[in-house]
Amino acid sequence: MKPFDIVIVGGGGAGLYAAMEAMKTNPALNIAVLSKVYPNRSHTSAAQGGANAALANKAKDDTVEMHIFDTIKGSDYLADQDAVEVLCSEAPKIIRELENIGTPWSRLDDNTIAQRPFGGAGRPRCCYCADKTGHTILQTLYEQCLKKGVIFFNEYFALNLSVNGSRSKGLIAMNMKTGAVEAFPARTVIFATGGYAKMYWNRSSNAAGNTGDGQAIAYRAGIPLKDMEFVQFHPTGLRKSGLLVTEGARGEGGYLLNKDGERFMSRYAPEKMELGPRDLVSRSLETEILQGRGFDSPAGKYIHLDLTHLGADLIKSRLPQIREMAMNFEGVDPILEPIPVRPTAHYSMGGIDTDNYGRTVMEGVYAAGESACVSVHGANRLGGNSLLDILVFGRIAGHTAALEARKFEPAAISEDEVKDQLAELRSSMQPSGHYERYGELREELGQTMAANVGIYRESSLLKKGIAEVAELKERFKKVRVSDSSDVFNTNLLQVLELKNMLDLAETVAAGAFAREESRGSHTRTDFPTRDDEKWHKHTMATLIDGHVKLGEKPVTMGRYELQERTY
Amino acid sequence: MTVSTDQHKEGKRDVTFRVFRFNPQVDSKSYFDDYTIPVERGITVLRALNYIKEHVDASVSFRAFCQAGICGSCGMRVNGISMLACTTQVWDMLAKSKEEGVIKVEPLRNLPLIKDLIVDMDPLVDKMKHYSNWVDSTMPESEMGKKEFLVSEEEFLKYDKATDCILCASCVSECSILRANKEYVSPAVLLKSYRMNVDTRDSMHDLRLAELVKDHGVWDCTHCYRCQESCVKSIPIMDAIHGIREDALESRGMKDTSGAKHAEAFMSDIEKKGKLVEATLPFRTNGVLWTMQNLLPMAVKMILKRRTPPPPPMVKPSKGIKAFRSEFREMSEHVKQDHKSHKK
Repeated sequence: MKPFDIVIVGGGGAGLYAAMEAMKTNPALNIAVLSKVYPNRSHTSAAQGGANAALANKAKDDTVEMHIFDTIKGSDYLADQDAVEVLCSEAPKIIRELENIGTPWSRLDDNTIAQRPFGGAGRPRCCYCADKTGHTILQTLYEQCLKKGVIFFNEYFALNLSVNGSRSKGLIAMNMKTGAVEAFPARTVIFATGGYAKMYWNRSSNAAGNTGDGQAIAYRAGIPLKDMEFVQFHPTGLRKSGLLVTEGARGEGGYLLNKDGERFMSRYAPEKMELGPRDLVSRSLETEILQGRGFDSPAGKYIHLDLTHLGADLIKSRLPQIREMAMNFEGVDPILEPIPVRPTAHYSMGGIDTDNYGRTVMEGVYAAGESACVSVHGANRLGGNSLLDILVFGRIAGHTAALEARKFEPAAISEDEVKDQLAELRSSMQPSGHYERYGELREELGQTMAANVGIYRESSLLKKGIAEVAELKERFKKVRVSDSSDVFNTNLLQVLELKNMLDLAETVAAGAFAREESRGSHTRTDFPTRDDEKWHKHTMATLIDGHVKLGEKPVTMGRYELQERTY
Repeated sequence: MTVSTDQHKEGKRDVTFRVFRFNPQVDSKSYFDDYTIPVERGITVLRALNYIKEHVDASVSFRAFCQAGICGSCGMRVNGISMLACTTQVWDMLAKSKEEGVIKVEPLRNLPLIKDLIVDMDPLVDKMKHYSNWVDSTMPESEMGKKEFLVSEEEFLKYDKATDCILCASCVSECSILRANKEYVSPAVLLKSYRMNVDTRDSMHDLRLAELVKDHGVWDCTHCYRCQESCVKSIPIMDAIHGIREDALESRGMKDTSGAKHAEAFMSDIEKKGKLVEATLPFRTNGVLWTMQNLLPMAVKMILKRRTPPPPPMVKPSKGIKAFRSEFREMSEHVKQDHKSHKK
C-alpha cells in the first residue's frame, strides 16, 4: 500500500476532528481514518451532558479564566496548567466552529447556544443539545468528514505499531470483513481510540469496545502511559447495567436520596449539593451504601436519583434519553418514580503521555482524546470537559501531524512483519490441552478491578488486585478462539480486546498501589489525605522486559498555587 | 415503551433463540440454529445473544457496542421486525412470538449480508455521500469559530427530532421500496436530507433537492409508513419525506419530474371525480410516448393474464361530489395557510 501521510486510529470525536483539521491544514496530504466500528458508532455518541466553554451566553460574567481555575481545582491540582489554559482558551472557538458546521445546539431565548450548570463549575457554561450532545457532535463531524472526502477504513482492528528504533513506520491492522492482516505504512500515526474504563466490565458505563486499544498498542511499543491509576467513577450509573444517567439530570435539578429520603449530599458538599465534582459525589454515594443507608435489591445496593419533582414537561423535553433508558433498563419511569443508581466506572483520566501538541515520545506518533493524557483532567475530570478535550486536542493533534508529516521519511513495512503478526494471531487461536473461556476471564477482570482497584483503595486490596490481574494474564495464554472463520470473527476481536484490557489493568493497579495518597478519583483509605510533598507528580508506566515499570514526571504549574480542594 | 406489564409473571424461564446463520466461507446457503438458554425477566435480546456467544457458541456473530441504544450497532430483526437488540426486552418479544417460547433473530434486510446477523453498511454510507447529507455552511471556512449563527427555537425545532437518527438502519431494513429497488435513496437518507435542507445554516438546499427529485429519489416512496413504525427513536420519518416533496412542489417549482406530475394528476382527479382515473394516470405522470413504449405492453399483458382488471375508460364522479369538492377546497386552503405561517 502507498504510504499514508497520516493514519488516524479511531473515528470518534478526537479522530474525526483530527482528520477534518488535517485536511484543512494541508489538503494535499494522504490521510486515512481506521476504526474498529463505523465512525458514527463511536462512544462519543454516548456523551449526553455537553461541552464546557466560557461563551458567557447564559452567565454574562463567565470568563475563560474561571473555566481554567475550575478545571485545575477539579483536577486536584494534578493537571498541567499550561495544557488547561490551551483547553479552556480554545473552547469558545471550537464550540462556535462546531455550530458553524451544523451541530444542532439547543438555544437560549436570545437564539444563542444554550448553556447549563454542571458539576464543579462556577458558572453555567456547559453547552448542550438536549441530552444527546455527543451524538449530535459525532454526527456533525462524521458528516463533515464525508463531505471532505476523508478515506475511511471501517471495521479494521489495530494490532500493533511497526517500529524501527525510535521511529514508527506505521500500523498493522486486521480487516474484520476478511480477516486479512494488512500494513498501513505511514509517516505519522494518531491514536484516538477512547478510554479504558471497560476493564471494570459490568461496573462500567462504557461501550463494550472501550478497551484501550491505542493505549495498549502504544504501551507495547514502549511509549509511556501517564496517570493510569486515575479512573473516574460516575455517581449515577443505572443499578443493573452500569449505564449512565447524565450529570445533566442533576444539573436540571435532580436530587440524590438515601433510603431515609434524605438529600445526603448536604453532609458532603453543603454548598454545591448534588452538583459537587464527580469524585466527591461518587464517594458520597459509596459511603451511604457502605454505611447501610442505601436501598437493597437482588441486583445490588443502590441510591435514588429523584427527578419526579421536575415535572413531566421538563423531563420529556430536556432529558428524553434518560427517561427512555430508565424505562428500558430499569423498568422505571422517572416522571413517576426515582431512578435506582450507583457509581459506575466511567472515564479514564490516564492515557498515552503527550505534550500540548499531541506528540508522544516516539517520533511520528501522536495521541488525542480519552486515549491520551496531556494532562488536562489531572486526578479528576469535570463533567463537560471530556467532549471539550477530544475536540480541542483532536484538532490540535490533526493540525500538528499535518504540519509535521512531511518531515518524516516514509518507511515500508515488510511483508515478513505482516506475516509474523498473522502467524501470532493464528497460534493464539488454537491452544492445545486445557483451555480458558474469554468471557469468564473478562468477567473476573471486571470484578477484581471493581473490588480491589475501585472507588476506595487500600494496600492489601491493591496487592490482591495486582496478583489477580497477573494470574488472569497467565490464564489468558490458554484462551481459545473457537470461531475459526476469517470473516468477521468477533470472537477473535473480543479476545484481542481482552488482551489489551489485561495489559492496561496491570498499569492501573500498579499506579494505584504506588500512589500513597488520596487525590481526586484516587482514594486510599490507608492514605486518606493528599500528599503534595511526595505525590504532586504524574506517574509514568512503561513496559520494560514484559513488566510495568513506574517512573514520574513533574506537574507543570502556572499561576495557581496548590490549595485544599473543598466544595 | 418496551417494558412489559403483567403478561408474564414468572421471573425466569427457558427461551429458544432461533438464530440466522451464514458464514460465506463455508455455507452455500443460510440456515437457523436453535439455542435454548435460561433467561431472567428484564434481560434484553442483546444480553441473551451475549450469553449465547460466551457460554454456548462463540461463533455466533453480531455487532454490538454501546449496549445502551445510542450507537445503533445492534440493529437486527427480532421476530421479523427490525429493531435494536440492546433495547428490546426478551419478555416483550415472547409475547409476540408465533411459536411459544421461540424468538427468531435475523439480520437486517435490504443491505448485503456479511455473516450471521452482520450486514454491510457501506451502501447506506454511499447514499449519504451521494445526497450530500451534511451541512454545507454558508459561512466561509476562514470565518469559522468567530461567531455563532443565531438560530431561533422555531428553526431549531424543524430539525431537532431528525437529528435523533442513529443510523441503525431499521428503517432501511423495513422499507418496502428498497426490497424492490436497492438504488432507492432509503428512508434514513431522506430523513437526513430533510434535516439538512431545513437548516438555515446550510447553503446547498437547491442542489440537494435537485438530486432528491431524480430517479430512485423522494418520489419513489409509496407511503407504507413502515420506516416510521420501526424507527427505534420514534422519529416521524414520513413527515420528513412529505416535507421534501412539499418543498419540491411548492417553493421550488420542481414540477417537471414524474413524481411531481403524478402527485398533481392525483390531486386533480380527486378534485374532479372524488376518485382516481386509473386509465389515464400513467399518461399524465410519464407522458404519452414513454407510457406507450414502457408501460402499455406490460399493462396489456397483466390484463390478459388476469393479474389486473381492465381500467374503466370513463370514470363518473363519485356520489356527493359537490359537497366533497367544497370540503376539498377548504382543506387545500388550510394547507396553504399552514405553509405560509410555517415559512414565517
